[in-house]
Amino acid sequence: MPAKLAPLLAIAAALFLAACDRQPAAPPATGPAMPAVTLQLNWKADPEFGGFFAAQLNGDFEKRGINVKVVEGGVGAPTIQMVGSGSVEFAIVSADEVLIARARGNHVVPLFAVYQICPQGLMAHAERGFKEIGDIFGQSGTVAMEKGLPYVKFLQNKYKFDKVTVVEPSGDLSLFRSGANVTQQCFVTSEPIAAKRAGIETRTFLIADAGYNPYTAVMVTSEAYFKANPALVKAVVGAVRDGWAAYLANPGPANTLMQNLNPSMDAETFAAAAAAQKPLIETEETKAHGLGSMNPERWDTLAKQLVELGVIEKAPSLMITRVVPAPQTQPAKP
Amino acid sequence: MSIAAWVKRLLPPVTPLVVVFAAMEVAVRMGWVKEFLVPTPTSVFHALFTDGAGSREMWEALLRTAEGSFAGFALSAVLGLIVAVVLTSAGWVQRAFYPYAVFFQTVPIIAIAPLLVIWLGFDLRTVVASAFIVSVFPVIANTLAGLLSVDPALRDLFRLYGAGRVATLFKLKLPSALPSILTGLRIAAGLAVIGAIVGEFITGGGLGGLIGVARREQRVDKVFAILLLSALLGVVMFSLINLAGRLSLRHWHASESAS
Repeated sequence: MPAKLAPLLAIAAALFLAACDRQPAAPPATGPAMPAVTLQLNWKADPEFGGFFAAQLNGDFEKRGINVKVVEGGVGAPTIQMVGSGSVEFAIVSADEVLIARARGNHVVPLFAVYQICPQGLMAHAERGFKEIGDIFGQSGTVAMEKGLPYVKFLQNKYKFDKVTVVEPSGDLSLFRSGANVTQQCFVTSEPIAAKRAGIETRTFLIADAGYNPYTAVMVTSEAYFKANPALVKAVVGAVRDGWAAYLANPGPANTLMQNLNPSMDAETFAAAAAAQKPLIETEETKAHGLGSMNPERWDTLAKQLVELGVIEKAPSLMITRVVPAPQTQPAKP
Repeated sequence: MSIAAWVKRLLPPVTPLVVVFAAMEVAVRMGWVKEFLVPTPTSVFHALFTDGAGSREMWEALLRTAEGSFAGFALSAVLGLIVAVVLTSAGWVQRAFYPYAVFFQTVPIIAIAPLLVIWLGFDLRTVVASAFIVSVFPVIANTLAGLLSVDPALRDLFRLYGAGRVATLFKLKLPSALPSILTGLRIAAGLAVIGAIVGEFITGGGLGGLIGVARREQRVDKVFAILLLSALLGVVMFSLINLAGRLSLRHWHASESAS
């Protein structure tokens, strides 16, 4: 008998938790039971994470009764494995990583997609006179890209790499500056700004324009954690959405905070990057459904592309897309 | 050797391997360890031998890494030896230049590898240079120690008979330094493999390049397979030096004649 009651109890508990979530004004940091969780970034503090730091700065997490620690990552930080293994509760990854991970048995759940348009691009010297991304592969040259990344496979499939030499990127501008025939991968919010400040004329092309556009800087958690703490996860997503709204409106305060953590990037670059990324984050889609929202069809498209490219054998289950909370209605101003 | 003798010889090194592999296989299959964190030995085996083009790519990469490692190691052995001999030529030479040899031991190769690429290009030269930089210091240091610890009585004997510098070097100093030199070469052999792979992280070829690809594809089975191949390369190089050591020392030195 009690076994039959269990599902009912679970549903009741879920409803109760969902009801709790409707009142974001949970008691602030007074109680001892404020759960502490970690949000692991996959790079150093920079504008691509601005909203997360803004949420921290504005106390959006505390308002919902959660203590979130935002932790910077280094080169190659395996954030998706960290979430999967439970060593951190939340992490930043990209959409293709999510699908690959799920296909390999690492069941992560995407929650919030910062970039609606993938900022990954190719940066060429302006003097080459390229008009579109395909031109890069139409003549001899060196292209620095991280082999093994799905977008590289996509480009190879579409344009073939017969005429160009693909090499590993150097992680800075040194290789790019070594010759005009060098084209390199970039985040359009980062390297082109650095190049411009170094006095190099560049032309940048988004991979998204070639037809490969995974959500990028996606906050994920593990399926196990999501199922065990649905209300907390929802609250974190709500706080993050508020943080991003604040950051897009005024990136200054969070930029100052991030610059203290990452002093190698100067204030001007922070401001320029924050401005450059805005159209990639705020789109028609987010205006309709809220910042960070994700469209199931785009996940389907991406999964199909990854299967076609041979990155994964078959599309993993897409339960991932339905768990995304609907956009929160803005609370009435006091 | 009889079969019993072979069993007796192979059982000790093979047993730990079998136990560890069996434990890994069981732990993953039972779900105690997640397969995206630790691969099963069978999946690693599949990646190495039965994955078609993927496996072939790995073995070809091993050959390229071997090329870079051997060339870097050879360069270290020859130049390291010469540098050590030059350093012992006079006290002031050693005081003037030895501190700079230490540079090679402390240089964070991962930091300068991107520069090597720009100086030398995306080919074997960068890999060889990386292997050389990482592996030359142990050769210099050990050779130097060997050259400086010649039995004083023998040195006096050579002096008494009026032996010249060249004769002393080739007939006394180098032979008596041989065990130290071989120790240096053994350390250098392993380091050369590491150096070559780090170089390949940047050039994108060989096992190092494949590790980068496998990590981005979240293929831990491939990563472990590549690690096994690099270990294999290290063992081969180590064995060759041991063989050289045995051949050159067996008639007179305690370290080799005892066994």
